[in-house]
Amino acid sequence: MTPSLYRQALEHTTGSPHQMALRKVALERFFKHGLPTPRDEDWKYTALDFLDQAELHDPQHAAEDWAGEDYPGIVMRFGNGRLMDAYSKSIHAHGLADHADTPLVVRYFGLLADTLPSGAALAEINSALWQDGLLLHVPAGWKAAPLFVVHSASEADAMLHLRHLVVLEAGTEAVLVEHDHGTPDLPYWHNSVTEIVLGEGARLTHLKLDEDSAAATHTSLTLVQQARDSHYHALSLNLGGRVARHDTRVNLNESGAECRLDGLFIADARRHIDQHLHVDHAAPHTASHQIWRGIAAGRGRGIFDARVVVQPGAQKADAQQSSRNLLLSPYAEIDVKPQLEIHADDVKCGHGATVGQLDEAQVFYLRSRGIAADAARALLLRGFAEEALGLLKHTVLADWLEPHLAAAMPVLNKEHTG
Amino acid sequence: MLHIENLHVAIGDKPILSGINLDVKAGEVHAIMGPNGSGKSTLAQVLAGREGYAVTAGSVRYLDQDLLALEPEQRARAGVFLAFQYPLEIPGVANVQLLRTALNSVRRQRGEPELDAMDFLDTVKSKLALLGMDESFLYRAVNEGFSGGEKKRNEILQMAVLEPRLAILDETDSGLDIDALKTVAQGVNALKRPERAVVLVTHYQRLLNYIVPDQVHVLSGGRIVRSGDASLALELEDKGYGWLTAESGSQEEVRP
Repeated sequence: MTPSLYRQALEHTTGSPHQMALRKVALERFFKHGLPTPRDEDWKYTALDFLDQAELHDPQHAAEDWAGEDYPGIVMRFGNGRLMDAYSKSIHAHGLADHADTPLVVRYFGLLADTLPSGAALAEINSALWQDGLLLHVPAGWKAAPLFVVHSASEADAMLHLRHLVVLEAGTEAVLVEHDHGTPDLPYWHNSVTEIVLGEGARLTHLKLDEDSAAATHTSLTLVQQARDSHYHALSLNLGGRVARHDTRVNLNESGAECRLDGLFIADARRHIDQHLHVDHAAPHTASHQIWRGIAAGRGRGIFDARVVVQPGAQKADAQQSSRNLLLSPYAEIDVKPQLEIHADDVKCGHGATVGQLDEAQVFYLRSRGIAADAARALLLRGFAEEALGLLKHTVLADWLEPHLAAAMPVLNKEHTG
Repeated sequence: MLHIENLHVAIGDKPILSGINLDVKAGEVHAIMGPNGSGKSTLAQVLAGREGYAVTAGSVRYLDQDLLALEPEQRARAGVFLAFQYPLEIPGVANVQLLRTALNSVRRQRGEPELDAMDFLDTVKSKLALLGMDESFLYRAVNEGFSGGEKKRNEILQMAVLEPRLAILDETDSGLDIDALKTVAQGVNALKRPERAVVLVTHYQRLLNYIVPDQVHVLSGGRIVRSGDASLALELEDKGYGWLTAESGSQEEVRP
């Protein structure tokens, strides 16, 4: 991607003069630094320089009308970066492009993305070139129905910059599910930014299922700002893309704010799946919990990099991380980098990280109960993944997710165990 | 039912069992006793098909089949059950899931229809009651966070559900307090059938107060050095193993 290709894409964007001015500023800011390289500590494991060589373009075609699946909630469908109007039907959810100049969006758009301390390049490209996305605004006194934001990519070599803005006013609740998928084996670049602002006591459950095509590049940035006593419960299922990078940054700005950032990644075949979490405990009595499970098979590579910072004065902070990972092939690789940075003295922090193989003693135990070897390994693998899914227990989301997970599980044989 | 002849087993080039002969008939309860390192657990593991053990001589017939030629899962489906000395924890897999998957594997082999979730629940509930286990056990991850006693009861629950022909209980009494021991023994006794045989592997006699064996065998140095009726166990309790093991010698426990 040369600067002129990005500029061409910018010319295809639309918006008010104010919007267009913002887009231009964002793109110029991006040009100053360019895409992150492995020289940046945060990008050590994931090179995006292949995007510099690629020739991608703004999507030219509306998505085909696809039947899709049944979702247990309200569905808002996007295709090739743009809202497919016919399917949006929530009083709280709208297309962001159509509302870009409303006072609410003017107030919150970029609030988090424009003030990133580092690694802002992908956010800048998104701010310059975003096509459309979700605007979810839950006003005080409401509880929103579960909302599925589904994005489907069907155009080869398209750059799809989705931009979502979620604002939950004080005391409100919502369940948001992002489901990204694409035509199998289609190459494209999906770069999304989601900004989430939670008011006092607001509660958001956020499930992200990435099933982008096996030839796609997926980069996503989720930014969360939490007010007093708010809860952000997120579960990421990073199953798609050829190269995928998932960044989540949460600011626990006021006391009583609590987040749970759980997830599962499966890096099979030749997938490269990189997840970065950053939690900032900026106030006392804040809590963050992370339960992650990672699986790498074939020649896949997974990265789990999580940093929790407890700021001076953030006493009584409670931060827990658990990252367990399974290597199913001698050619697979997993890099785990848990980091706790504590600047307060009265805190409860802990982390545990492991990388291992399926346990042959467990396999024997199951076989001794009559379960065939392959089925035993599959059961163990599914059980391993299940540990990351605690947030969904006893919800309709668990039933909805099950076939997606089943399809993503690597097929095992004896070679995969140690 | 089970006929072991001149069984020799080694781990690497270290011999563990050196010529075991044993005959177990349907309906019988046999106790295999012996000091630590005598090869008791190895015998149990070899019968269940654990890898890492080399059978260097001898044979094991089970219901007219060559048991050693079968994969572990084939043995289980043919009715062999091993209650583990150290039951494994399987995080993320609910007990009910393991039990149902296992039972349906066994039923398929027997030519019986698989049970759906509802029918299975009916079946398993009666077995839970037998072992004084709460229904909540079904929905916990297999053995995860279970106490020692709960793990052993869970093994017997699996046995009750799978209804094996030959049940091998490896040190099922170890680590149990007296109440837990009684519950487990009650469960095993309730599962006694004329067509079912039980092999108890144990270090101590106390389990045999509750499950009375037809025959007791003392294993030492990889051989059965003495066989007798239930009174042999009492004698061992009284005198210890020393008088039987002096000539054959004991060895350190070896695992694959």
